[in-house]
This record gives sequence, structure tokens and C-alpha cells, in this order.
Amino acid sequence: MSEKLQQIINKQNRALVGDDKKIDEVIQLVGFIVGEEEFSIPILSIQEIIKPIPWTRVPQTPSYILGVFNLRGSVIPLIDLRSRFGLEVQKHTEETRFIVMKSGDDVAGFVIDRLTEAIRMPKHDIGPAPETISEAESMIDGVGKQADRIVTILKVHKLLERNF
Amino acid sequence: MDEFEEILQDFLIEAFELIEQLDQDLVELETRPEDLELLNRIFRVAHTIKGASSFLNFDILTHLTHHMENLLNMARHGDLIIDPNVMDVILESIDLMKALLVRIRDSGSDAGLEVLGCVERLDAVANGEVAEAASELLVEIVETATDEIDYSQMSDEEVEAEIERLLAEKNAEAAAKRSNTTKQPTIEIEKEEPDYSSMSDEEVDAEIERLILEKQAEDATKRSSKQAVPVAPIVVPVPQPKPVAAAPAPAPAPRKSEPKEEGESKSGGTVEQTIRVDVKRLDHLMNLIGELVLGKNRLIKINDDVEERYEGEAFLEELNQVVSIVSLVTTDLQIAVMKTRMLPIGKVFNKFPRMIRDLSRELNKKIELEIAGEDTELDKSIVEEIGDPLVHIIRNSCDHGIETPETRLAAGKEEMGTIHLKAYHEGNHIVIQIIDDGKGLDAEMLKMKSIEKGIITEKEADLMSEKEAFGLIFRPGFSTAAQVTSVSGRGVGMDVVKTNIEKLNGMIDIDSEVGRGTSMKLKIPLTLAIIQALLVGVQEEYYAIPLASVLETVRISKDDIYTVENRSVMRLRDEVLSLVHIGDIFEVERVFDNSEHAYVVVLGLAESKIGLIVDTLIGQEEIVIKSLGEYLKGIEGIAGATIRGDGGVTLIVDVAALMQMAKSVKSTVGNTGKEVKKIGVKNTPSDYCVMVVDDSKTDRTIMRKSLESMGITLVEAVDGVEALGILKQGEHFFDAMLIDIEMPRMDGYTLAAEIKKYNKYKNLPLIAVTSRSGKADRMRGVESGMVEYITKPYSPDYLMNVVKRNIKFNEGL
Repeated sequence: MSEKLQQIINKQNRALVGDDKKIDEVIQLVGFIVGEEEFSIPILSIQEIIKPIPWTRVPQTPSYILGVFNLRGSVIPLIDLRSRFGLEVQKHTEETRFIVMKSGDDVAGFVIDRLTEAIRMPKHDIGPAPETISEAESMIDGVGKQADRIVTILKVHKLLERNF
Repeated sequence: MDEFEEILQDFLIEAFELIEQLDQDLVELETRPEDLELLNRIFRVAHTIKGASSFLNFDILTHLTHHMENLLNMARHGDLIIDPNVMDVILESIDLMKALLVRIRDSGSDAGLEVLGCVERLDAVANGEVAEAASELLVEIVETATDEIDYSQMSDEEVEAEIERLLAEKNAEAAAKRSNTTKQPTIEIEKEEPDYSSMSDEEVDAEIERLILEKQAEDATKRSSKQAVPVAPIVVPVPQPKPVAAAPAPAPAPRKSEPKEEGESKSGGTVEQTIRVDVKRLDHLMNLIGELVLGKNRLIKINDDVEERYEGEAFLEELNQVVSIVSLVTTDLQIAVMKTRMLPIGKVFNKFPRMIRDLSRELNKKIELEIAGEDTELDKSIVEEIGDPLVHIIRNSCDHGIETPETRLAAGKEEMGTIHLKAYHEGNHIVIQIIDDGKGLDAEMLKMKSIEKGIITEKEADLMSEKEAFGLIFRPGFSTAAQVTSVSGRGVGMDVVKTNIEKLNGMIDIDSEVGRGTSMKLKIPLTLAIIQALLVGVQEEYYAIPLASVLETVRISKDDIYTVENRSVMRLRDEVLSLVHIGDIFEVERVFDNSEHAYVVVLGLAESKIGLIVDTLIGQEEIVIKSLGEYLKGIEGIAGATIRGDGGVTLIVDVAALMQMAKSVKSTVGNTGKEVKKIGVKNTPSDYCVMVVDDSKTDRTIMRKSLESMGITLVEAVDGVEALGILKQGEHFFDAMLIDIEMPRMDGYTLAAEIKKYNKYKNLPLIAVTSRSGKADRMRGVESGMVEYITKPYSPDYLMNVVKRNIKFNEGL
């Protein structure tokens, strides 16, 4: 009985691994604009995308941390990606969104200028991040090439890392 | 195996509960050695643990408890008189038993602890004959044990000497024990332990059977004695019902630890009155209640809004009812769940009689501990935190407070020093009071010592009130003890007290009188998760301050604030209270000028006090503490966040951290005039920026032409409203404004008055440019904050000069 079971399990595992490979070849990303550039993050690291809601300023924090907001009962930090990337702060517009990203237990909301689209990108179209920036410090995971444009893929865990 | 685990867990829980009570009973026993009921109770604990541990195959524990049981049994039958020496041995064995239980809890086995020495001493005390085979050290003890009868005839001095000798002996013995513990451990135990380990299964069963029977008989007699309460006092050593104070009756205990019995005893028809619940489940429940409370707050807020909008409509009545029922039930539910987490503080107090006994022997002092209010209940998490601080305070009282018997007699006091330990409820707080009748705190001496140790400067010392001086004992590094003893003198203990009490949002109040004693009052909130908070506003932000730390709120005028050595202070009745503005602590940009009045929230934590200036007081609200999460944790001054009725997030002030921050914060209280200007460096004339406000295009052009040659930046606005809008945007930092008086929408006077409301623009030069030249107009201009008054027509040079003067043109170049 147990041997038979083991065989079945093995078979299933092999099948699963096979499936994974097929899926792995295409990455699903969500693209958005901050400043002039288009960035993207893996769709699986997004908890949700919401329209701007009021937030509360938190003192003693760097200027790119706008504060905290209430997401259905959880208190979540809000980070302005424009000032995080050293760009000039702008007023929120109709198109401004909060992207709530998660990585493990860490969750935070990020303010972006506007969403572009969901992108399916084959893995082989993704190149490494520019070498000028040191690997450990870089927030860039890679650069995706598409027919008419280049999309920067961000490291979500790096964005969610506290650096002050 | 799982079943065994379960039994083991039950056994451990029971055993620890039993032992907790035991310490107190034993100390009591020392003062009342003839109390049979006490003896019986202690005997039963040893017996129960022995029974259960033999069932669970903890041979070493069984071995130890077996001998304890023997000794206690003798005492119970009057064959042995309990004196301090016997007590020392018993206490030692109890400590060992605790250590064994802890080991079992942690590692699942009782192997590896040395009990032999203790067992031998137990036996030696119990009967002189057997001990002869033992080592020399033990013989001595046997001697003391056989000598015992003499004590009653000895004079006081002789007793004193004898105790002295015994202590020395004991120390030597302890040292000897330490040196050879490693040599003779396990083998002997095996020899001593034939009863259980070598027993056959049947024999074990028989033994269990016997224990069960014994237990049942005990229960039966207990029940019968309960029914016929006052009839038979102490005729035979029959187990009597415990007094009220005793927390968990030992009756249900053995039933759990011996599950085989469970089936049988159930037929006896006893009803379970309590169930054990995993604390995690209660914590989860508490979290859910927290969410519910937030929901309730929100519902109430919405209800208020709806009420306002649909006043007089029929459905409102119904909605109102539902909302009030929901909020009522939520509150009840919250209280009910909080109560399930409550434990009597007696759990903590229980260990103190033993501690006092040991300390008084160690310090050669006579100290009596009086406990009151041990039934007072508080949250489990707080019970766990409060133990340490109390230990330190009581040690401190014993060591520094209570004097030696000779000193006491010389001072005309009773030889016996007393420490009162009291607990009682006060509103949403529990108050624990520790009062000793010792020598009291000497404020002057405390100050001197602190200066000596470099904790404070002489100047600070001069400014200190008596209460503040008492607070010095909580400073890290402070110690008045001339010598470091094992009890105190390192200057750590009281610092721990302060940190722990602060962690609980508690307060400490010290009162002392030299020669009369010291009273320390700890005031601690009953629960931690859901708290009452005072909501305050500063500019457009709100903060929640735990109400537990708020002593009072006062409304003061600006004139009540004094500056002493760069710190803002105010007089509050007969105290001087240092002040700090919440805006300075939390970097709130002060856009609006604060009015002539301010509110001061007087905060108290541990032993210190501070006044926090806020703009508005919103009110009191029940809030649920939520963490700010991993990303923002550890922000100074913020203890967490809560979600308000309107769905917004409000930050909770960490009062302890705030007090720390207040010391270093640069105060801007009271000197609003000297605002910090963010003037950029002026390198070129175009760095200067002047706004021209006039509704006539011609006039604006004339002004522009007149100033153009200077090369400064000019911004134009057509009326007051637009000018104010430009100012608010903050795109430019203006050095001066030229303002026409007659304008549509908002005239020059109003504009000037509006601008002056902003703190930031307090010193912005406003220049009126107008055709109105009457004296009254000028007066009005000055009143509204204009610094210059130019009447049309004017020469371009004149205008330029006035502007130059006001913006300090060229000075910076």
C-alpha cells in the first residue's frame, strides 16, 4: 500500500515540477509609472491596489514615508515612491494609486503616479540590472525588454526593507 | 505516548500550583508549628506529588518526596518539633523539588539533579539513629537534631549563639556539598530506590490502587467535614477544608494527575467547576474583541452622523436601539473576556513570605510581612511582569529600610520591623502599596549621594523637590549602600523597577519620612490591550495619550509659561512643572499661530511628571492598541496606533519615551516670535522674492517697472484671496509683500490679518501701497500688521528704497 502510494506521490510531484517549469517561463508583472519611468513588480507580490485614502503622518521618519493608513483594520505604512526614488513630490491626481505589496510578513503601501498594464513577459526577455549599481544595494531585479519599451523590474523585498 | 504527554502536562500544572501555596504555608508553619491543619496541608502536597511522580516514573522526584513525606508525617503525629533548623531542611527539599519539576518541564526527565544530600539530611533530621552511617557533616546535624529538646530551656543568648553556630555550620556544609556533588551522584540513588523501579507491574498497580483509595477516603472525609462544618474542630488530624484565601483546592489535583482514576471518580458525581484553557486561545479572543470594539466605535460615529442628517425620521429610533444594544453587549463581552484573563495578585504575593524569611535570617533582622488584598485580580500578562519589580522593592525595604533590631530598639521602635504589602482596586487601576516602618528616605542624603556618583549636578540638586529627590533611587547606578551585599548595593534593582513599571504604563509614588518609614505606591492599569485614551489635537493632527498616564489637564494662558534655563516651566499649585510642546516632539509644522491659551496635559509615569502642551483636547475614547508593523517599529515616542471611529489612524503616544525626548528637545514654547526661518542663501538679486497684490493692472505694472532694475523676483496677485492661495502653496518664500488696500473679494487689511495668523509669516514685512492717506487708515494698517504705508502716487525710487530696506537687500550679498 505505502509503496504504491509513494509511487503515486512521486508521479504527482514529477507532474507538478513539470508544470512549474512551463509557468516559470513566463512572468506576470504589473507595470506602473513613477516620474518619467515605467517600473513593474511581480503580480504575486501585490496584495491589492486601491485609490488614495487618507493617511496619518508618522513623526521621526524619513520624508518618503508618508505615514500609516487603515486597510480594513490593519495599520499599514505608506511610502511615496517618487520621493523614495529621489524625485520631486507631486500632488496626487485622479490616476494616483496605492499598491499594497507584501513579501513574507512585511506589508506596505506604495504611492505610484499611475498604473499601466499587466505584462506577461517570457523569462528570456529579462536582462540583468545595470552593473553600475552594487548588487546588494540595488532595488532593481532586472530589466524587461519589450517591443517598444524597457520595463524596470523592482525587488519587492528590497522596497519593503527598512533602511533608516 | 500522547496520552502520557497530556498526563505529564496536567501533573506539572498541578504540581506548580501546589508548590506556590506551599511556600507560604511553610513559613506560616514556622510561626505556628502546632497548627495541624497547616501540617496536613503541606503533607498532602508532598504526598500528592509523590504519588503522581511515582506513577509517571520520576524516580528521583519520588525518592525525594517520599522522604519529605516521612518527615512531615512524623511532625504531623507530634514525633518531631518543627524548629528553624528542621525548617531549613524542609525548605531546601522543597527548593530541590521545584528544581526537579522545572527540569521535568524543560527536558521531560528528572535525571541529573543531586538529591542524595538533601535526602540524607531529611532522614537525619527525622531520626538520629540512621544517620550515623552518614558522613561526619551529617553526624553534626544529627546532633543538632537530637539536641533539639534543649532549645526550650535555653536562654535567649544561648539560642542566639546556637543559631550563629548552626549558620556557620550550614555554610561550611553547603561549601562541602558543592565540592563533592560531582562525585557520588547516580549510583546511590539507584540503591536507595528499590521500591518503585524494581516493582513489577502488578505491584505498581497495587500501589496506585492504594493511593487512589487513600485519596478517595480523604475526599470523603473532607466532604463529610464540609457538611458538618463547625461541629468537630480538631479532634483527629482529619484533613479540613482549606481557608478561603487558599486558591486552588488540592482536591481536584490528584484526579487529573492520575487519569486512570478518572473513570472511577466520575461515578462519584463531582461536578467540574473549572476548565483549563490555553492562554493563546484567550489572547486570540481578546484580539477579536479588540476588532469588535473598533467596529463599535465606528458604528457609534456613523449613528451620530445619520442622526444629524435624517433628524426626526422614524427609522432612527430603531437604529439607535440597535446601536446601543450592540455597544452595550460589546462592552460586557469585553469585560467578560478580560475577566477570564484575570488572576489574583496572590499568585505573586505568595512567594514573598518565604523571601522575607530568608532575607531576615540572612541580614540578621527581624522582619514581619503583612499581606492584604491578595484576592485583587489583574490581567495575566501584568501579573507576570509585576513580580520582578516587587521583589526588588521588597528586598530594598528589607536591606535599606528596616534597621537592625539594636538600632530599632535604640530609636524606640519595636524590635520587629514590619512591611505591609497591600493591593486594591482604584478605578481602572490596581494599586500595590509597599509600606515599611524602617528608617525612611533622607532627601538631602539622596541628593548628596547622587552628586557624588555624578548622576546629577549640584545645580540640579538645588532645584529638586523632596519627591524628585526620592525619585533618584530609580536612577541607574544609584546606590546608598556602603557595601555591596548579596542583597543589594549594585544600583541595578530600582532601575529595573522603574523600567518594568513604565512598560506597564504604571506610575510610582513615593512617600517617606525620615525615621518613620517609606511608602511606595505602584499604580498599574488593569489590562494592556484595550485602553482608555485621551485624544488631543495639535494643528491638524491627533494623538492618543494613554489615560493611565494622564494626571490632569489644565488650561493656561501664554503668560503662565516661564522660562528657566532654556526650559519652559509653569507653576501648578505648589509644584514647578516642566513643559514641552507636543509639536516639538513630533515635528509638527506649526502653520497656524496658537491662540493666547493652551491646554496642558499633565503626564505622570513612574515617579516623574511633565506638562505636555497641546492645541486642543478632543476627549476620552476607548482604543485598541495596534502595532505599527515591522517596517515602522521602534519609532521614538510612538507606542502604536489605533483606528478611530471615522476609520482614520491615530498614533498612540509612548509616554515613557516622550519624557525622555522632552529632555533633549529644543523648546519653542513661549518664544513664538523667534521662529526659525528657512531662508535660503541669497546669492543673486533674483533670490529675493516680493509679491505684489493689486487689483489694477496699471498699478501692478507701475510697481513692476519701479522694482525691475533691482533684478528681484516678482510674483503678482490680483486680490487677497489669490495672494493667500499663493502663500499657502509655499512655492516661493517671500521676503516682502506690497499690498493694495482696496481690492475685491478680500481687501488689504483682511489679507494682512489672515497672513499674520500663520506662524511662519509672523515676520514677513507687509507694505501697504494705497491712495488712502487718512490717519485712521494708517492706524488700521498698523493694527492689521502692516509695517510701511506708501501713499499713491509715489516715485519709483521711493518705492525701491522702502522695499530694499524691508528685504535687507544687499546685506546678504
